[in-house]
Amino acid sequence: MDAQATSLAMGGAQTKQHTARTYSWLPWAWAALLIVVLAFLIIYPTTMLLIGALTTGNPVVDGYQLSDLSIANFLTVAANPNVASALLNSLIACGGGTLLAVFIGLSFAWVVVRTNTPWKGLIASAGMLPLFVPPLVAGVAWAILGSPKTGLINLLMAKMGLPFRVDLYSMTGMIFVFGIYYAPYVYMFTAAALRNMDPSLEEAAEISGASATRTMATVTFPLIMPAIISGLLLSFIVMLGIYGIPAVLGSPANINLLTTYIFALTAWSPPQYNTAASVAVILMIVTGVLVYLQQKAISGRSYTTVAGKAFRPRALNLGPWRFLTLGLAILYIFIVVVLPTLALIVAAFRKFLFIRDIPALFDMSQYSWIHFNKMFDNPLTLQSIYNSMYVGILTAIVGGILSFAIGYTITRTQTPGRRIIDVITTIPVAIPGLVIGVAYLWAWIALPGGLYGTFWILALAFVARFLPDTVKALSTSLMQLHKELEEAAWVCGRGMLGTIGTIVLPLARPGVVAGMTLLFILAIRELGSSLFLYSSGTMVMAVQLLGYYEGGNIGITAAFSLVQMVLLAVLITFTNWLSRGAAEGGVVKTG
Amino acid sequence: MSSELRVEQLRKVFTTGRPPVQKAAVDDVSFTIAAGEIVVLLGPSGCGKTTTLRCVAGLEHPTSGRIVIGGTMYTDPQAGVLVPPRSRNLGMVFQSYAVWPHMTVRQNVAYPLKARGTTREAMNKAVEEALDLVELRSYADRPVTQLSGGQMQRVALARSMVYQPQILLLDEPLSNLDAQLRLRLRDDLRRIIKRVGLTALYVTHDQAEAVVLGDRIGVMRDGKMRQLDTPTEIYNRPADLFVAGFSGASNVIEGRVATRRGDQGAITLPTGETLVARLGAGVNEGEAVKIALRPDNVDLAPVGEGGNRFKAHVRSRHYQGSQTVYELDLAGTTIEALEVGSNASHQEATDIMVALPPDLCWAYPASSD
Repeated sequence: MDAQATSLAMGGAQTKQHTARTYSWLPWAWAALLIVVLAFLIIYPTTMLLIGALTTGNPVVDGYQLSDLSIANFLTVAANPNVASALLNSLIACGGGTLLAVFIGLSFAWVVVRTNTPWKGLIASAGMLPLFVPPLVAGVAWAILGSPKTGLINLLMAKMGLPFRVDLYSMTGMIFVFGIYYAPYVYMFTAAALRNMDPSLEEAAEISGASATRTMATVTFPLIMPAIISGLLLSFIVMLGIYGIPAVLGSPANINLLTTYIFALTAWSPPQYNTAASVAVILMIVTGVLVYLQQKAISGRSYTTVAGKAFRPRALNLGPWRFLTLGLAILYIFIVVVLPTLALIVAAFRKFLFIRDIPALFDMSQYSWIHFNKMFDNPLTLQSIYNSMYVGILTAIVGGILSFAIGYTITRTQTPGRRIIDVITTIPVAIPGLVIGVAYLWAWIALPGGLYGTFWILALAFVARFLPDTVKALSTSLMQLHKELEEAAWVCGRGMLGTIGTIVLPLARPGVVAGMTLLFILAIRELGSSLFLYSSGTMVMAVQLLGYYEGGNIGITAAFSLVQMVLLAVLITFTNWLSRGAAEGGVVKTG
Repeated sequence: MSSELRVEQLRKVFTTGRPPVQKAAVDDVSFTIAAGEIVVLLGPSGCGKTTTLRCVAGLEHPTSGRIVIGGTMYTDPQAGVLVPPRSRNLGMVFQSYAVWPHMTVRQNVAYPLKARGTTREAMNKAVEEALDLVELRSYADRPVTQLSGGQMQRVALARSMVYQPQILLLDEPLSNLDAQLRLRLRDDLRRIIKRVGLTALYVTHDQAEAVVLGDRIGVMRDGKMRQLDTPTEIYNRPADLFVAGFSGASNVIEGRVATRRGDQGAITLPTGETLVARLGAGVNEGEAVKIALRPDNVDLAPVGEGGNRFKAHVRSRHYQGSQTVYELDLAGTTIEALEVGSNASHQEATDIMVALPPDLCWAYPASSD
């Protein structure tokens, strides 16, 4: 112990001080910079949306006016019967769609995880395909198949002399298309829960004397209930924000959902920007409540015994019945993947969609590239593809850099205010794309010489919309890097920036590249927010497709849909190859 | 150019829990390591040894206290001095190796020199020397991911020494290796550090490692330095019951001091028998004490006559091949005794005579822990 004494005695006197300046203000400045950027991207537009909902002045004519700021303006809109019916329609369509999605998704999960149905792996991957189809393309395909007069299904039925007819231009039609396309959300959540469940829990129930069905009802389903609820709410949330499907299937029957109603309000003459903002706020509130419930469902799943352990799930031997489950699974994939794709191919390549009889369907002289030629003769087509790519690249670069900066700050530093940064970053989770579009419209439309009408407003809106997912993905890949890898570089004499450049970025590169590619994909397929922000010079692919559809030319619409699907398929395959599945998860979370 | 390290009244307070409670991870720790000396900080997890090391590295900011390396003040929160790790010129070997997986062995070792802007020529020479030192020269151009755990740890060691740091810090560098490799690298480590002549601060929870590696060992508990001494002193004169227990004296016999003579005393056991033990400072006559004794210091075959002889009953015998552990009922309590060698000389359920060497029985106040 005398070592202590001598060291204390020696203290101070002959010690010189290392002259190193410490920049204690630097972390504060960095935090302030990030908060300013986030305020610009998220808080300012959201605030302007709220102001729009609480005022009555037209921002284009009068500029921003705060004089008549009053909750009464919002309540007047909320009391409007059209709004109420749009809200009700949204809840019915999305509620019905969600129920169908839960039924299909849960059955699919059970078949794939818990039975000995043949070709399970193949079925499982094919079942995920609907996730990648843009909602507008799905809507177009099903309009071609199921419109009451000219739908291919109805034509075939008539030719075969069957009295049966379908009408997808209806509430039932929307529920059906929502349900089949968003079933994979429920599937993913429930399949994971089923796979991770300790099989001995079920075995214990059976040893206690419960039958197989009783075990399922009293043990299996209660245990995966949080996963079911979570998948249910997520698919509901995503459906609420979808524009493409109700625009194609609901509008012909005059059924407005919140999303289509909001867009209709801004397309009127004069545009009802205040009303649109109010309805957008209503949509945001409903979404916010659902997101809150979903977060609660996820956090409340501690009792599901999802241990870190890997279990071999019990596979029920179905005997000959396994061919029935296989048949049902194939039927689902046929309806949701094969049939719409065939419809698009037929519509895109046939000179006339009128089909006299079954042999006429295979009459090759009726098929040609004419729609593709017409489509590419229109300079707007290539221009819109080019524009989408440009906006996609802007989004990927700006979003990638910002997400990395935020992810690194949140997970790796002690920067003051990083909790606030984290919270602001997650706000867009509760804002559907279409609402972000309205918010950005409000934020910039009345500022002369501002962003409105440029490529940047699209890119920034996309960055804001997808920020929570990209930051989360990048944070995950950053957290997988051991802290000591960085500390070793510091001790070796590198500063923080040098360490990021030589150690962190090279090691996190797969995650960063995957995140940026994913942003690119999400940006080029985004319709909801683009609707309010494009101008004649910045027309993007998704909006152009909607234009073709509304112009009434089914052949060109189908051809352009196919082009976009192929483009997306190539990009997604590339991203998947790059990152082993990151793209899949990403598209899922954002719709 | 290895330097002296002086840590003065180091304190690091964390705020944890709800409601927030302030907890001192390091509580007023002071010590000095002479240039070229290896000091090992030893203690159970959570004792503050790693926090102390990280404060020296500049990775952790202490609440108060001073860290002086080679006469230069590097940490003094009160004076606003907190030199960042990159400017301290220290070498550090991490528990997880922390070799960068996207680089080759050579690139890993050259990294600190690049950060210092060393010329290519000098860099190549230094890297070769460092790799020679850890016997990895033939692996220089392999990706580190192709190396075994032990080889990675040697890359980390070469990387931490290649720029001739003032001090080498080692944070449980062997804990991720398997037992056999740990033994080999333990001896290698001391040899290499001593050959370079570096001042080293080494953190571990493994007492065997500490004894082999350290010139001196500092035993820590709950943020406090309980004893800083040479290994022989720690083993033969533990300062308190905790140090005794942590360095392997697992037997505790309770009693009361009857008489004290010099640094020895006669202690009355609950059975009325008397045991002569070495008394720590401040143990007075009439005081209740706990006596610590290493199992390997129990003499199972005393020769001739002498003090501290006790009749013991062999309660059970655990034969372990190269040694045998006996559980003995003795003076109203149960103690463990260790017999080295493959021959187990006593049977279960027999009575034997054992001797407890007075110089190796240490009595501490019963209230201490």
